Amino acid sequence: MKSIKLLALTSAFVLALAGCNETGDDKKAADGEGDADKKLAFASTYAAFPSKSTLITNAYIIQGNGEAIENGSVLVVDGKISAIGAGTVEGEADTKINANGRYVTPGIIDIHSHLGDYPSPSVNAHNDGNEITGPVTAEVFAEHGVWPQDPGFDEALAGGITTLHILPGSANLFGGRGVTLRNVPSRSVQGMKFPGAPYTLKMACGENPKRVYGQKGGPGSRMGNVAGYRKQWIAAQAYKKKLDAGDDIKRDLRMETLAGVLSGDILVQMHCYRADEMVQLLDVAKEFDYKITTFHHAIEAYKIGDVLAEHGTCAAMWADWYGFKMEAYDTIQENVPFVHAQGACAMIHSDSDMGIQRLNQEVAKTWANGNRAGLDISEAEAWKWLTLNPAKGLGIDEETGSLEVGKRADLVLWSENPFSSYAVADQVYIDGALMLDRASGLKPRSDFRLGHPGAK
Amino acid sequence: MIKRILFSSIIAAAISVSASAQEPSVVFLDNVSVSPDQTVDMIIRNGKIQRIAAELQAPATARAMTGGGQWVTSGMFAPLTSLGLVEIGAEDSTDDRRAKDAKTSVSDMASDGFNPQSPIIDNTRVSGVTHAGIIGSASQNIFAGTGFIANMSGDFDSVEKDGAFIYVQLGSRGGKLAGGSRPAAISQLKNALSDAKTRMSSPDDGDALSRRDAAALSKAARGQMPMVIGANRASDLLRIIELRDEFGLDVIIAGGADAWMVADELKAAKMRLIIDPIANLPGSFDTVGARIDNPKLLAEAGVDFAFMSFSESTSHNVRILNQHAGNAVANGLSWERALAAVTTTPAKWFGVDVGSADQGADTFVVWDGDPLQVTSAPVMIVINGEEQPLISRQRELRDRYNPKREDTRAHKYR
Repeated sequence: MKSIKLLALTSAFVLALAGCNETGDDKKAADGEGDADKKLAFASTYAAFPSKSTLITNAYIIQGNGEAIENGSVLVVDGKISAIGAGTVEGEADTKINANGRYVTPGIIDIHSHLGDYPSPSVNAHNDGNEITGPVTAEVFAEHGVWPQDPGFDEALAGGITTLHILPGSANLFGGRGVTLRNVPSRSVQGMKFPGAPYTLKMACGENPKRVYGQKGGPGSRMGNVAGYRKQWIAAQAYKKKLDAGDDIKRDLRMETLAGVLSGDILVQMHCYRADEMVQLLDVAKEFDYKITTFHHAIEAYKIGDVLAEHGTCAAMWADWYGFKMEAYDTIQENVPFVHAQGACAMIHSDSDMGIQRLNQEVAKTWANGNRAGLDISEAEAWKWLTLNPAKGLGIDEETGSLEVGKRADLVLWSENPFSSYAVADQVYIDGALMLDRASGLKPRSDFRLGHPGAK
Repeated sequence: MIKRILFSSIIAAAISVSASAQEPSVVFLDNVSVSPDQTVDMIIRNGKIQRIAAELQAPATARAMTGGGQWVTSGMFAPLTSLGLVEIGAEDSTDDRRAKDAKTSVSDMASDGFNPQSPIIDNTRVSGVTHAGIIGSASQNIFAGTGFIANMSGDFDSVEKDGAFIYVQLGSRGGKLAGGSRPAAISQLKNALSDAKTRMSSPDDGDALSRRDAAALSKAARGQMPMVIGANRASDLLRIIELRDEFGLDVIIAGGADAWMVADELKAAKMRLIIDPIANLPGSFDTVGARIDNPKLLAEAGVDFAFMSFSESTSHNVRILNQHAGNAVANGLSWERALAAVTTTPAKWFGVDVGSADQGADTFVVWDGDPLQVTSAPVMIVINGEEQPLISRQRELRDRYNPKREDTRAHKYR
């Protein structure tokens, strides 16, 4: 996932990689293919908020890469981690913060959110997360449904969320493209888009597609689900062949997305619960030579941790949700640590506007249960489930997900150990800019909140 | 009841104790916390807290829990759940919460659908919930039927109090159930209360209820049975106070997202509320006032409240009630008040005993840490003097697939 290939199909991504949001520069990124308008579609206009250089000392630092520094300092300059280490670090800063032993961690990344697509209030007019008009809608983009005024973004920030991935829902076999966002106030979704982050494709296994389409032309069974995937991949292979040959073909948004998966530029995020179904889908991926980056929900991932490890496929899981449908019946409270212990890439996810506000507690629960069951995983190791592993699942781990020199300064200063129920985020920084500060009351507030009596 | 006692060799936590057949069963707890600022020594004999003192000698026959850091509390009480009424949310054949096409409502006894053998009861119990209020959802009018209180032993005789409360849905959802509007819902409630006090000559004499449903509402209509009323908007909460006074009802409000806005009125009315301490999003136009410090503001105003997880789960994941209480503490509520809100406060309202950490208690939970911490879990649970097995379907799955297991046979033979 580290190598980010340029692809004409993933336009915004290409532009952002070129380090430029200006319209005139697309030629060098475009690699001579396609037309300019296509390249410009929905490009990120994200710009970091203004920041001061900041030195945090006397902190218990969980780096997110498995390491912890008991009494350390971190220096942030120009929005990046400039220095980090035990004791004091070299360098001057405009703002100096003595953490007094408080915890500093990377900002949390939620790989599975529908904020903006299913915003608060959840009135009928706000149901923008599932294109339930057919089982194959690889042509839709989650970002086109995102309402940046969702008050959920602000509360997620208060829970330490600095980056989040918005996915279409799971009604469809191919749900559409997901988008990775910086959790910053913006009037448009373009202003939140993580520059350079690859697009993803949401796919879904199991009960949902067959339930939704069983009486609407299918798929009506798990058999139909798999046939449905294979049919589309066959078409996508043919489309890509023409594309690679430089044939003059009519643009097809659905096929562009699927061809992007086949060329490795679009990452597959696959909703799947049962162990046997995940194994089936790994075989579909093998047949058509693409990679499933992450299984989402993955209720039974603990049963096949070794298989996931072998395929290099991650699992994004809950701490304890279960039972809302048959395929969610076999949850255990140790799913995340058991997958981790089998050598696979494990992570937490929310799929919830409530859960996203306390993912640190969700990890704390499942971590404690894992150790109670005989594992011996440190807090520092478990923190990977909140930041570095979801960053890997999104192809942004070179830029964020851990506190290391040169990476984006996305970090949280916690009131106490974030594995405690009592911990709250005292400060949240995104690209070194202070976005939330409990002491001063600094917190973004959606337009929707104005004139209503709720949270200030 | 035959307790299934299975212990995996893998789960050898230092402090785990077995309910083995030692006679008499004696447990010694050294330096156990009963509140954030008090630790004691404790002797538990035959499912009862026999002695508490600053320093005690361990009895010779005792299983000692000396791993350190244990706590003892009363059992947790989840006041408004559908535990044992539903196995799989999306499978109608396993779901007894709703009866949209039934001709009855108030007279539907939730206990008639209760399955104490559901694995979900075990999952709930091993997380420290010893008792729950149980009822379905309103589905064809504003009445959800008649609820009951059960303990989480999983025994066939675990219903401790049947006919314990009535549930009434108001707010926007109540309006839809009543035909389309809040005024229609209030009318339906008033008419039903009137029906409940009227002697009817034919089965469909009532203005809102049939003869049997009206009879089932009779006690609640006279204030002799708690009427739990679901509502969130501040204007709805004030209207409920008026209705209670007008009809002489024994009301507990469920929801109360806007309660902080009318805290003084709720206090003056001595109103009790079941609130969700983490509900802070304007999820609907009924809850645009939701805020995370609702519990703190209500406590400051002197309002009586208990906690329930409306935002996360009222069935399978009820077990995270202690996490909810912990989050209330994180947002300004005292630890003692938060614990009471998930234990003794609601238990008192519904007239059941969830025990205590006091001498003589025969219902209690021993935890391996602060019970409001997400990292803590029960290591011993006693309900009505009977030590409960700490096993569940989920734990059997856990043991079967534990990466540290020694059993290398195929999973179905493990």
